[in-house]
Amino acid sequence: MANWIPLWVHKLSSPPNFYRFAGIVRPWALALALITGVIALYGGLVLAPADYQQGDAYRIIFIHVPCAWMSLFIYGLMAVASFISLVWRIKLAEVVAMESAPIGAAFTFITLVTGSLWGKPMWGTWWTWDARLTSELVLLFLYMGVIGLYHSFEDRRQGARAAAFLAIIGIINVPIVHFSVNWWNTLHQGSTVRILGPSKISTDMLWPLLTMMAATKFYYIASLFGRVRTDLLSMESGKDWVRQIAEREGRA
Amino acid sequence: MSHAPLASACAAVLRRDLTLAWRRRGDIVMPVLYALIVITLFPFALGPEDALLQRIAGGAVLVTMLLAMLLALDAMFRSDIDDGSLEQLMLSPQPLALMLGMKILAHWITTALPLIVIAPLLAGMLHLPTAVMPVLVYALLLSTPLLSLLGAVLVALTAGTRRSGMLLALMLLPLCVPVVIFAAGAVAAAQQGLPWLAPIAWLGAALVMALVLAPLACATALRIALDA
Repeated sequence: MANWIPLWVHKLSSPPNFYRFAGIVRPWALALALITGVIALYGGLVLAPADYQQGDAYRIIFIHVPCAWMSLFIYGLMAVASFISLVWRIKLAEVVAMESAPIGAAFTFITLVTGSLWGKPMWGTWWTWDARLTSELVLLFLYMGVIGLYHSFEDRRQGARAAAFLAIIGIINVPIVHFSVNWWNTLHQGSTVRILGPSKISTDMLWPLLTMMAATKFYYIASLFGRVRTDLLSMESGKDWVRQIAEREGRA
Repeated sequence: MSHAPLASACAAVLRRDLTLAWRRRGDIVMPVLYALIVITLFPFALGPEDALLQRIAGGAVLVTMLLAMLLALDAMFRSDIDDGSLEQLMLSPQPLALMLGMKILAHWITTALPLIVIAPLLAGMLHLPTAVMPVLVYALLLSTPLLSLLGAVLVALTAGTRRSGMLLALMLLPLCVPVVIFAAGAVAAAQQGLPWLAPIAWLGAALVMALVLAPLACATALRIALDA
């Protein structure tokens, strides 16, 4: 068996290597996010037929649903990175976990706002104490708690470890959000997109949704890598590789 | 080197914390007074209609308890960190999780138990029917230790920071949501004459899990927060 994969991963987790790697990947991820995002928006807002029940108002799901998926996905990824950082003390995992939190919080916020914009014409109310809405709001508070704890320490690595621990504790909420529509029969509609088995949604509407999902993933990668690069520079500011970069950029 | 047996070490930690709390009896009364004042604010804010107050009584008492406990939580490890006795505890050969469990127990006895004692009075002020009182007390007996345990983990996480009050609320309240739902759910069900055992059983299950996991998590959190 070739052992170049673990070796490559091991090398990548050193800050200067990841800094370079992220610098290469980031513009591509950003470009892909833009392209897939535009395709998905065109497919969703122009090509997809109007819903037989909701008319055109349903089209907000092309933003709302991918963002909701991302809000849970990023939390899960943050918790995994947190776990890695606590167990193996990998500096990069700490940075990834802590820089994921604001992005996840932003996606959660967008989910709540678009959901409420959709709720007004459909349910006749901006907000209701529905199980899924409430648990998504709690998810936002959890992100805020992680961000707040991270910034309340003077020593950033200590803050990152404490916040990572909180992120792991908070993961109990993720299955609650995910399954809330199945467990409690409240206002929010059940899930229509299935990984296993056929989805309960027309293909014309499904493909823009899935494309948008890819777009949000690419955007997350671009955004995360940008943040991680900045953070690595400031965290390693005394190191030689940062000085070299600073000198090179200073000359250019 | 030999050291004290586990049981006597546990007893010593518990006795020390209870003695310290007893020497500062005024602090024990504070959460109780706080809860009383908050409850009296409800009729002022919502108007003195008996039917309305009766409907919100269970939930209002639970939320008030939660807030009162939240205020007291901040002090859980504060003086021990200031005088260095927490570091001594961490260095002791006894398992830290167990010692912390004793500290959490002492904290629960000094803050939550007085609150539970006056809970029927608070609920009575909002006209909760007497028949529902036992259910409220059961719900509180199961949910307050759960809050103490959860809170202890989060207090331990903020132990290394200076300004933790607001942050603690931000971290603890989202995690408390299920506890509040089940505890208030039991009281509401009893009030409507429905079976209330299921939410109580859920609280009990959560409490058992927290009893096992929270002291361990608390020990880990303290190690993270205090020794960089």
